[in-house]
Amino acid sequence: MTYKRYHIPVAPAPNSAPHPRRFNVNVSKIGLASLLVREIFHYRGDMSTVLSRPCMYGVFSGPVGGFAPRPDNCVGCLRCTVQYPDMVRVEPNSDRLELGDSYFTPDNVDTVLYEAATGRVPVKGAGYRGRYGGPGWDGMWTDMSEIVRPTRDGIHGREFISTQIDIGERPAWLSFDEEGGLDGDPWQVIRLPLPMLFDRLPDSLLSGGWEAALLDAAGSLETLAIVPWKALREMSSAPSALVPLVAPAEIDHLLEAAWRPRMVEIEGWDAGAFARLGAAWPECVVAVRLPFGDPIDEPLASGCRTLHFVADYHGRTSSGFVLESIREVHDALVARGVREQTTLIGSGGLTAAEHVPKAIIAGLDAVALDTPLLIALQGRFRGECRTAESCKVEMPNVDRAWAKQRLINLMGSWRDQMLEILGAMGIREVRRLRGEVGRAMFQADLEKEAFGEIEGYVHV
Amino acid sequence: MSMSDRDDHQMRAVTDKHTHALRSGFARWPRREAPPPAMGDLRWPADLILATWDQAGTGAPPDGPDAHTHGLSEGGFDRLGFKWLPDGEQFGSATEIDLTIPLNRRPYDPRIEIPVPWYGAGMSYGSVSEQVMLARAKAAKEWGTFTSTGEGGYPDSLFEYKDHVITQVATGMFGVREATLKAGRIIEFKYAQGAKPGLGGHLLGDKATVSVAKMRQSVPWVSLFSPFPFHSVYSVEDHRKHVDWVKTINPKALISIKVSTPTDVDMVAVGSYYAGAHILHIDGSYGGTGAAPEIAKKNIAMPIEYAIPKVHRYLLSEGIRDEITVMASGGIRTAHDIAKAIALGADGVILGTSELVAMGCTRCSNCERGRGCPFGLTTTDPELSLLIDPVWGAERVSNLYSAFAQELSTILRRLGLPKVGDLRGRTDLLTYLPHDVGVNHVHQG
Repeated sequence: MTYKRYHIPVAPAPNSAPHPRRFNVNVSKIGLASLLVREIFHYRGDMSTVLSRPCMYGVFSGPVGGFAPRPDNCVGCLRCTVQYPDMVRVEPNSDRLELGDSYFTPDNVDTVLYEAATGRVPVKGAGYRGRYGGPGWDGMWTDMSEIVRPTRDGIHGREFISTQIDIGERPAWLSFDEEGGLDGDPWQVIRLPLPMLFDRLPDSLLSGGWEAALLDAAGSLETLAIVPWKALREMSSAPSALVPLVAPAEIDHLLEAAWRPRMVEIEGWDAGAFARLGAAWPECVVAVRLPFGDPIDEPLASGCRTLHFVADYHGRTSSGFVLESIREVHDALVARGVREQTTLIGSGGLTAAEHVPKAIIAGLDAVALDTPLLIALQGRFRGECRTAESCKVEMPNVDRAWAKQRLINLMGSWRDQMLEILGAMGIREVRRLRGEVGRAMFQADLEKEAFGEIEGYVHV
Repeated sequence: MSMSDRDDHQMRAVTDKHTHALRSGFARWPRREAPPPAMGDLRWPADLILATWDQAGTGAPPDGPDAHTHGLSEGGFDRLGFKWLPDGEQFGSATEIDLTIPLNRRPYDPRIEIPVPWYGAGMSYGSVSEQVMLARAKAAKEWGTFTSTGEGGYPDSLFEYKDHVITQVATGMFGVREATLKAGRIIEFKYAQGAKPGLGGHLLGDKATVSVAKMRQSVPWVSLFSPFPFHSVYSVEDHRKHVDWVKTINPKALISIKVSTPTDVDMVAVGSYYAGAHILHIDGSYGGTGAAPEIAKKNIAMPIEYAIPKVHRYLLSEGIRDEITVMASGGIRTAHDIAKAIALGADGVILGTSELVAMGCTRCSNCERGRGCPFGLTTTDPELSLLIDPVWGAERVSNLYSAFAQELSTILRRLGLPKVGDLRGRTDLLTYLPHDVGVNHVHQG
């Protein structure tokens, strides 16, 4: 087998639809005129000095300068307003508050749009600006190592960190026959170069043509896209990235299709449907999609080894937040002695690059992404976007090639950010990250250890 | 007048115009009714930025509201308060408070003490301007404390202040020469940085100007990503070799080890001690930077408030706490933060962002882009960097130091402690503020 390094072909794909600017800039025209007159006298007509403007980003670079500012260029440095408190006012643009929803925050949307437009890792100056820790993903930090690095070749050079994973059942051990050949049935796994799949689109977008963009991008990335059956009925062939999502009642229709996917996902646990599909298509990985909290014993007893657990788009599960629910199901698989043979995929509440390695540390093998894909394509939520059934998204009118590139860029950026995390931890393949909670720090534990003796401490 | 003279004259006129307006703004904004609406964040709210500008202007803690004491991050230092003594038991304002801390607790090598429990953090030439480095060095000299070169080399103009400048040796080895190693009374090995733990320094191409590249012996306008980690260090023993190497060149130097805050930061502390460190510098994950991946700033390694007690207790249990000085950084914004860090177990702290805020930083997070900082701080653009006059900058930093020293003395008087060293590890003097009450309402001022 010839080695081929995995590479994600990111390329610029600027926003296609208008996006609200970050700041509004208001200038007092009377104040500015008065300042100009004063300065003309003060600097004795030296117009180069008079017209020198307190902005290096071009907000006042138009032909009439501050009389017609260009707020789209404003980065919020505030130099103009610091210099001229009575004349210039820079305000956050309230239109941005309409981006995303209560979970997918406007800042989060901005970040995803940057990642989808450029494929780059967001790098900025100054320290962290947000809340100290916090609930959910924010109450978790990943470890680093002062002197250990996966290799010494540098993350931007030749250093190789694998993000490859297997989907499907892996045997607990290998056995060999007398001739030294592998004994027993060959196992079915799908090898993916990155632990990120695309999850199904919300109902309101099904059959709107968006599946094609997802499948294009997933194919290019060599990953998988989960697509509900009702969006597939007319399909004459199956792209290699396609994972049909079927209800048990739809299996007969699926089996009549002229094509064979590499993997199928069944909505909900149905022992008969699982057995039937496995018998009809033995070469196909059959996954079961369940809400977090659903029992696993029966699927496991029936031989199901690919489980896709789903929280809602805000990361809510029947027992709390998705992070804890992932740990619960991972621990349950460990306790049953089948963790190494089982693939655990998770969805819901994963809206930022940092959530992917954190979810894997909590116990997932792979994530299946949902709302970030919509945001990357400049979808605008209409109201709260909580579930696939209820979520309303207004999508822009875009072409398929642009949509494909945006998704590729997003994955390129998120994979690179995962490499930053893995590199800092000194871990050279993502499979070793799974369940490594010892290489993570949780705020509740750290707070108790550090502040537990302090008067008034309350364990949260 | 030659064309070049005319250009210089023009640039001076423009610079004078803008520096005058900026300095007027720094003085006026803290006294206006409301802060700029787009200013601030939870770590550094607008009121705290303006209070820092005020202290940098007056040299005294602000009267009135306690905005200068804390942020609104709802955790860490912002979740802690002090258990003041009853009024009658507090020291009076006439009581002298000793803020001195030793930087060498070993029984050998030069005794170095600093009169305030802090010094300046490493900020490289390239990430900040030479003017800013000079301003910080001047302030350090005035106060008898230190500032650090960061990893971008040692501009010639700093040699005048060499007794107060720490020479940093980082993984990029930029500007590490025999002369710069000999110049430092303290040599700092930077293993990691809190804002980007496990990653090397980042200097994006636009800021790698000709002069910066010359200092770093690199190619102009090409981004510089320092390697991580030191490629010659795999163990405590390897690190010891580094220390021996530096001590051969400069036998009198104290050794500081700058590390980030992984899960085993306590073990790292012990390893640093056995490798010969006089100073352990732990840099928490919410620390400052001129450029870092956002994912690293927020998510990798623990904040400094959790690391300090972990390190302090482990060094105590190892029986070596009083042989090493622990300096903490990564989110120290106020005199109250300094006191809390010491109460959690540090000997002292290292200031970075607060010094930049004193010189006009608005925390806009645009340090890394294009020409760099529009306020002339985190830039080496020849025009923008003129916005900071080193004498003016030194005065601002020095004033902030003065305000911090006064406020810290007041805190110690209210706690009934005559020396700052008496506060170290006194978590019994701290209170944990309830979660159901807004932090800004419960800080005792």
